[in-house]
Amino acid sequence: MTRHHPDTLTLMEFSAGNLSEPHALCIRLHLDQCPHCRSRVDTLDSLGAVMMESQPQVGVSSDMFDSILSRIDSEPDMTENYISTQAKRMSPLQKLLGDDLDALPWKRQLGDVSVLDISERFPGQNEQVVLQKLAAGGKAPAHTHRGNETTIVLQGAFADQNGVFNQWDFVVLNQEDEHKPVAVGCEDCITLSVLSAPVKLTGTFTRLLNPFIR
Amino acid sequence: MSTLDQKPARAEGRKDPWSQLLEKVGRNQDRQAYHALFEHFGPQIKYYAMANGMASHAEELVQEVFVSIWRRSCLYDWRKAAASTWIFTIARNQRIDMLRKMKRTSAEMPVETEDLWQIPGENDDEPVTSLHRLMSERRVRESLSHLPEEQITVIAKVYMESKSHQMVADELNIPLGTVKSRVRLALNKLKVILQDQNV
Repeated sequence: MTRHHPDTLTLMEFSAGNLSEPHALCIRLHLDQCPHCRSRVDTLDSLGAVMMESQPQVGVSSDMFDSILSRIDSEPDMTENYISTQAKRMSPLQKLLGDDLDALPWKRQLGDVSVLDISERFPGQNEQVVLQKLAAGGKAPAHTHRGNETTIVLQGAFADQNGVFNQWDFVVLNQEDEHKPVAVGCEDCITLSVLSAPVKLTGTFTRLLNPFIR
Repeated sequence: MSTLDQKPARAEGRKDPWSQLLEKVGRNQDRQAYHALFEHFGPQIKYYAMANGMASHAEELVQEVFVSIWRRSCLYDWRKAAASTWIFTIARNQRIDMLRKMKRTSAEMPVETEDLWQIPGENDDEPVTSLHRLMSERRVRESLSHLPEEQITVIAKVYMESKSHQMVADELNIPLGTVKSRVRLALNKLKVILQDQNV
């Protein structure tokens, strides 16, 4: 049972479709396991619908409906094809990482910590996306975070001074949060983290200095 | 499974006209119903595209959304979302998808838009009914009419122009904290805020 949830403002940005792909992935993975947040997103999606309805409307070309119909007629099995692709749909995590998280090419860092940078799976995004693994019972050294770091627990659990974070828990940490996580339980703890660019970019000089912009 | 399944007559009463039309499209490929949906939602979606700065692709977006509505209408379940909510999520996803395809240099998209943003009622293993879901749109519509203009303006920029809270703050020349507190006040009225959490 997840106990740590995304805040409502983040869910709103998700519902509006304004989050980056890696951030949206963290939310999506949480929603799959959290009926509570899913119901909040349902309400937020309704808010989107009501906003759309209350805006001005713009007339569409008179022949557009006919061209839509001819597209539909040109692909008679459209619906059947759609249903069969839906049935074959894999979970996003499986698609990204396969079935066995342990089989990934982990890079051992310090002691109990291994990491894997998967940023290149999100082309065109200015964020670093990393998997981190803390061996069962292991401790990570105390550290702070650059900018905002959004994390979702994919496997196992970790604990720090803020509590225990179980599978599918969601947490956002920033520079002010120094913590010393410990993997609890008998499984390795695996997390997915998205590291945002820490500063708002203005001049070209800051751009050069920013390690997250490639 | 649920009380609504046992009391179909009462359940039918909750269905709004657009959801009924969408269900007809899904069940019988009813083109008249499809046309009525197009007349109602087409102009809304076109405005949505234009507000998002996609003026030169606005009609293309409307087309994509409607083709997608046809394609997946058989999966539509009115107990999971009102038609307008369902159509909004399709418009949102098609907008994201179109922008992703324009930005992308290679054809490769390891993670598809729909892996990230779901359409309500699809890939959803939950038991069908939640009264909350059914009521949410009606409640949102009612509560929204009581919100002050400044809160609606902020929400409209987030939803219709896809602006982050920071971008809204910059544009309106007000602090980020003010934007967030307006959004929070509004979401509180709409009862979206989680009671037991500090946000």
